[in-house]
Amino acid sequence: MVKVAFWQNSDCWGCHQSLVDLHLQLLPVLPALEIVYWPAVVDFKYDSLVARAPGEIVVGFIEGSLRTKQDVEGTKLMREKCQIIIAFGSCSCYGNVHGLANQWSKEELVRRKFSEVESIADGSGGEPTQHVPGFEDKIVNVDKIIKVDAYIAGCPPRSEQIFGAVGFLLGQKPFPMNDLAFCNDCSLNQSGCLLDAGKLCYGPITSIGCSLKCPNAGNPCVGCMGPAKTVSARASKLNDMTKNLASASSGDKKTSNEFLSLFLNVPLMAGFDLSADILKQVKKRGTPETPLANLPPDTVSIASNVLGFLRDNRDLIDISNVCDTCDRIIGSKSTMTKVKRDYEGLPNLEDCLIEQGYICMGPVTRAGCGALCVKVNAPCSGCYGQTEWGVNQAERFAETAIKGFNVSLSKDELLAQVKDKVGTFEKFTLASRKGG
Amino acid sequence: MVKEIEVEPITRLEGHGGMRVVLGDDGKVQDVQFNIQSTRFFEKFVEGRYCEHIPRITPRICGICPIPHHLTPTKAVEDAWGVQIPEPARKLRQLLINAKQYSSHLIHFYALTAPDFLLGPMADPALRNVVHVINKMPDVGAMALKMMDFGQRLCAAVGGKAVHPIAAIVGGMKKALDEDVRDKFLKVIDDQIEMTKKTVDIALKVIDDYWDVVANVGVVPTYYVGMTNNGVHDIYEGDIRIVSPTGEKTDYAPQRYLEALGEHIPEHSYATHMYYKPAGYPEGIYRANTLAMINCADKMATPLADEALKAMREKVGTNVIHHTFAYHWARIIETVEAIEMIATLLKDPDIVNPDCKTLDVQPREGNGVGITEAPRGLLLYNIWSDADGICKKCNLLVATNHNIAGIEKTLMHVAKQVFEDKALDGLKLPDPWIK
Repeated sequence: MVKVAFWQNSDCWGCHQSLVDLHLQLLPVLPALEIVYWPAVVDFKYDSLVARAPGEIVVGFIEGSLRTKQDVEGTKLMREKCQIIIAFGSCSCYGNVHGLANQWSKEELVRRKFSEVESIADGSGGEPTQHVPGFEDKIVNVDKIIKVDAYIAGCPPRSEQIFGAVGFLLGQKPFPMNDLAFCNDCSLNQSGCLLDAGKLCYGPITSIGCSLKCPNAGNPCVGCMGPAKTVSARASKLNDMTKNLASASSGDKKTSNEFLSLFLNVPLMAGFDLSADILKQVKKRGTPETPLANLPPDTVSIASNVLGFLRDNRDLIDISNVCDTCDRIIGSKSTMTKVKRDYEGLPNLEDCLIEQGYICMGPVTRAGCGALCVKVNAPCSGCYGQTEWGVNQAERFAETAIKGFNVSLSKDELLAQVKDKVGTFEKFTLASRKGG
Repeated sequence: MVKEIEVEPITRLEGHGGMRVVLGDDGKVQDVQFNIQSTRFFEKFVEGRYCEHIPRITPRICGICPIPHHLTPTKAVEDAWGVQIPEPARKLRQLLINAKQYSSHLIHFYALTAPDFLLGPMADPALRNVVHVINKMPDVGAMALKMMDFGQRLCAAVGGKAVHPIAAIVGGMKKALDEDVRDKFLKVIDDQIEMTKKTVDIALKVIDDYWDVVANVGVVPTYYVGMTNNGVHDIYEGDIRIVSPTGEKTDYAPQRYLEALGEHIPEHSYATHMYYKPAGYPEGIYRANTLAMINCADKMATPLADEALKAMREKVGTNVIHHTFAYHWARIIETVEAIEMIATLLKDPDIVNPDCKTLDVQPREGNGVGITEAPRGLLLYNIWSDADGICKKCNLLVATNHNIAGIEKTLMHVAKQVFEDKALDGLKLPDPWIK
């Protein structure tokens, strides 16, 4: 049994709902977990968390934004009690939509809610102060106040992503780990194998069971199904290739980057502060003891190679964006000639939404969601966070769109047509903007 | 000596709350507080946003019920801009909100409530949770998970994402359901109806087992707030309905909400206290959520649910039911209605009709009100738009918030029962199902 705790800051419970949405898949995992704190589900009270020994809990999930003083206090308490802290969801990683409140002073926020709203009808009003924690002036990311070991972004993170991360960190192999490796199912196994052609493909150590979308389109396996119990014959070849990632092509590096985030579920984000404990183990011993130790030796070796490379070359990797996982045609028959608001018209389901005139944050948003919004015709609004930080996000979007898509507007023309820039380009990440 | 009993935090709910009971020297209850300890100021930070973006922000108010928080502001903006949506969009939204009602009510019944009843109120807190229920009653656990899974998958299919949906847009829906996706749900709908019937059996057995508790603990006359569509139970569209403690019903069109719904700012909670304005505070404190909806309804919208409602009223003996523990019962009746609605809507050709978005959408200055019934109560958005369709101001009356004052009032009543009348001592409790 592994002790885990879930701490909720000011939040919506959506990350937990996403976890619960694994439904039947949860059944084999639950017996492996000893949940010592999870107010939404179990009855342990705050005192019981305070009473735990430092480092007694193995994994702590921190969800929600740091809006109240209680949020800050509880977050620090979790850091003391847990060996590994996961920033769970975009609130914890980036502040989420709650960060939009940073445009106003605390007093202005409090005044609107507790004094001005139209339905206050009996002359009462003013900030409540009795047995309530008080508010922070501004929302900041969790990693501004404590050290974070791993990040799982998304609003909410996809269920599979959470499942994989839990499995990885606990070393309990609960993720869909079939006996056979991906190569057994692969449409290119007999002829046209990408590895044989010298291209990195993580099929030999990845579990079967996917739709084979990648090899069918001539693309390598990036390991999204997680590890297989056994590896295929090509594993040793893959092992050799990953020992020399420094000379790999940029495409191979990108594949490895995706592999790290999808197979190992080490989420990649700003600053690239990976799951530090695992990295430290790799650094010290060349291979980690846990949880990779439970996997086939070739898998351990390959994963360690990639981890090691990325540890030393953090800046070399282009982070995948939502467009990389979107089926729409870029360079389509459509062209953005003016910026459309979301309520205008109804886009077709084939062409890129930017080219159809809409602000879709796909090209500047990190991948992981599977482009779910775009599939139902709604533009990406950036909930997985930016692929690049410390820059003007509105300008970066405009430059990216003009460079890579059918857009017949200049940067200034495009931006002049977006009246709410903060809400459009930094809806989920305003609190992460450099300088507050 | 004054004694203060503190529960910190209240568990098995979404949100942040604690409670306090203050007992005097004489053992009398001096004060009861229900302290909600967080709020995030959505009503402020949607100011300046494009009105059509609000439905993509506000679902983050609640991860269990993001769908009402997606649809209600959409309706409010449509009201402000005078937009009419096509019939297929209306049906898709009804399907979406009923799918959410189904999965939310089931997660509430099985994951949040059931541990109390199946293990009994005296069980070890370490075990009194859904994980233990699943371990000890794997068949029931698996059934519950299959039902929640169905609801959440349907939410994802219609809404694009189960948690924080995106498919609704001012003017309709961005996309209709694909036929092959619809067919997959149709294939298992009869199983789901059967599982719902089994759930009803379990619930009725629990209610029977705990009848002494249901009939005697926390029977608190209050006002109730909900919505009906000309008197019929409806969670997507209709008027606000207030029911008085004696059963008088008064309807208000959503745009007239300020005549009915008042807010009091307490000193000890970030969630405010709502009350029925004509009755004043605190006399007009009302309750929301399932029992309130059942008390508001002249009838349910579907046959099996309506039968269940009639049976409930017959057993309790009144049309207005003040029994707090009957909230669970009411929730099950609403669950039955949800699956019946889903079954009907899945067979409706409109839900695969791509004509689900009007092109006739123009921002205009004005304020609009949208209401729905979220799984935990009436949900109301009042949005002020400028001529460019940018939000100038917003007032939110959120589902759980409608219930805070009513919950505190109920807690006071129960605290007196427990500490002053020692009413729990003679209560008949059944042998727990899980020992």
